Amino acid sequence: MDVLIIHFLNALLYASVLFLIAGGLSLIYGVMRIVNLAHGNIYAVGAYTTAWAVGRMLGSAPAITLYALLPVGAVAAAALGAVLEPTLLRPLYKRAEEYQLLITFGLLLILEDLLRLIWGPYPLSASSLYEALGSLSIGESIYPTYNLAVIVVGGIAAAALWGFVYKTKFGVILRATSQNMRMASALGVNVNRVYVQAFTLGCFMAGLGGAIIVPQQGAVLGMGVDALVLAFVVVVIGGLGSLEGALLGALMVGVVREFGIAFFPEIELAVLYLMASIVLLIRPAGLLGRA
Amino acid sequence: MAEVSRRDFLNALGVTVGAAAGASAGILPGPSKAEAAEPPKGKIPDTPYKIGHMTFFTGPAAVLGEPSYKGHILAAEEINAQGGLLGKRKIETLKADEAAGTDANVKELRRMKLSEKIDLFTGVISSGNTPALGPVGEELKLLTIFVDGCTDFLWDKAVPNPHYIFRITNMQSADGVTCAVATAMTWPQVRKIAHIHPDYSYGRNARDHFTVAIEKLIPGTKIVYEGWPKLGTTDFTSHITAVLAAKPDLLVSSVWGGDYIAMYKQALRYDLFKKMKFSSTIAFGVAPHAIGKDHPEGVIAGVHSNYYFNYPPQGRWPANDTFVKKYYDRWKEYPNFQSEGSYVTLQLLKQVIERANRLVGGWPDDEAIIALLEGALTVGPAGYLQMRADNHQGYKDAVTGFSMNSPDYPFQILDPKKIITIPIRNITAPPGWGDAHGKEPTATYTWIEKTWPKVA
Repeated sequence: MDVLIIHFLNALLYASVLFLIAGGLSLIYGVMRIVNLAHGNIYAVGAYTTAWAVGRMLGSAPAITLYALLPVGAVAAAALGAVLEPTLLRPLYKRAEEYQLLITFGLLLILEDLLRLIWGPYPLSASSLYEALGSLSIGESIYPTYNLAVIVVGGIAAAALWGFVYKTKFGVILRATSQNMRMASALGVNVNRVYVQAFTLGCFMAGLGGAIIVPQQGAVLGMGVDALVLAFVVVVIGGLGSLEGALLGALMVGVVREFGIAFFPEIELAVLYLMASIVLLIRPAGLLGRA
Repeated sequence: MAEVSRRDFLNALGVTVGAAAGASAGILPGPSKAEAAEPPKGKIPDTPYKIGHMTFFTGPAAVLGEPSYKGHILAAEEINAQGGLLGKRKIETLKADEAAGTDANVKELRRMKLSEKIDLFTGVISSGNTPALGPVGEELKLLTIFVDGCTDFLWDKAVPNPHYIFRITNMQSADGVTCAVATAMTWPQVRKIAHIHPDYSYGRNARDHFTVAIEKLIPGTKIVYEGWPKLGTTDFTSHITAVLAAKPDLLVSSVWGGDYIAMYKQALRYDLFKKMKFSSTIAFGVAPHAIGKDHPEGVIAGVHSNYYFNYPPQGRWPANDTFVKKYYDRWKEYPNFQSEGSYVTLQLLKQVIERANRLVGGWPDDEAIIALLEGALTVGPAGYLQMRADNHQGYKDAVTGFSMNSPDYPFQILDPKKIITIPIRNITAPPGWGDAHGKEPTATYTWIEKTWPKVA
């Protein structure tokens, strides 16, 4: 029984981080119609920045204050987004979509090289934060307390995002711009400002995902590309541009991966793509996507 | 087959633990000091000797590529400080990023030979790349010394009769077998075994060779779980939970690099190491300084069966003492097996070129270099390295050991008193055994399956 509970918690852990990444990707697409291929390495920037900050302060500050450094990665990713959108993406909105794909893919590669250049090829660790919380007992088993913290943050982020998009004036403008950019513009919405805000928010979510998971997993080169692929699996399942879809997709991926690894470990590599293919066959726009 | 006890069989394999292995350290072959000081014969051109070094400069495998390149550069700088090869030809290194993918790597190899006119091709980490690059090296008639890319498949199938290509590090099958031998002598009581391996050729190879060897050494073991995370995975919570649920006596893993660091740190929080024994083929092989003091002590922490920087121990093997010191002074970190491999590659090349020069005078052509590389014996930091004449595979004792904390290092190390070494010829298929047959993975696999006794 306790093993089953732990499997569910593991699935939630995986889904939490995946939702933050895929949610950001989906938000940006929903508002701006840009498939941001650089998104994976925005997540990596969050992870590396937090690991670096924690590593620098380690030993000189009490453990409890180190937790305050967690959001540093998210802020760095958001700042990066706030710079990138007006400088690199804005000039391309009037061109064909292929240009956006090319430029965001190029950005993905450049960011990967920058991470390598700044932090070197060896993994960065922030595991003192993961270890300091210890483990708690679930029946006869134990479970890392930090994982629960990640699940809670993921849940809060999802709730906050929902409130933000559906309960605030900014959310109304965001949704209006997403549904009809020209109309919103004609009604006096400053579209450029909405775009930079949406892009920054999307990057903040990815950075937050990287920042909260880095104590558990460490920061390694290539993590961004992996995350990007997984985020695409999630949005293919949930529907690109839909936040609810990203949540549903992340939960499905988390649960299927978890029980795949537990009961059919041979097909771990294939199982997520299998699920995405089935969804594509049945509902090409994704489960909650707008056709 | 007659019954053999485990102890007798391990003795027959020549397995040694710790200090005993260094006993023969006094006998150093190779050129005597007087011979080495002799000036080169004949006229030597002073054009640079161009070397293409391909390794991972980007992506997760840069954790192996960086040390490989650093070992190469250290050796090249040393040689160039003496005026270059034969005192005249300075080494000029061209680097290529192996992360470009196999097809691009093959093109780059051709380009380096045809446009850049490289004299030697070296490096290469991935087992997926050597079988593609090897035949091209042969076709281009390009002297090639792979540092790694250690798949058995290269010599079993891709290039069964090599002429121009050689390889330095131990063959991949040695990893699984070494790990099984170390496990059987340390924990002969284990019966239920769980595995976690990255899902690509290295992980599959490690699992297969561990399994075929352990079945001979501890008959009657059972696999209770096998996890196959993708290479590059850093979330192992699911695999750890599944392993714990299967209640094994032993977990075997070939997860490496940043993946391994994430895995062991997560496993700690589930008390995994308190509930079972742990054997790895490569835990301490990749980035020694990245292993924290929190790593469990006393587990089998393999080093790709090649090299760990504190063995042979300080003061017993001058080649290692000077290498570790020079490497640390140059790069401010400790070398791994790739550093050692690419360093010994250039040292071996230098010795062979000098020997060839004494024989034929002038700059030796590739045929003379190849003739002397075949069967060459050299003293590397890791110990003796013999280049097998038949399949051009570098052979050195396979190495593994146990993790321990030492006040002398800010990271966890292998216990220098308990290093396990095994003569490589006793755990790999001998010359003439033939290639892999049918569905079996490698020649060594069938050789172990057919010729090793099951111990009683």
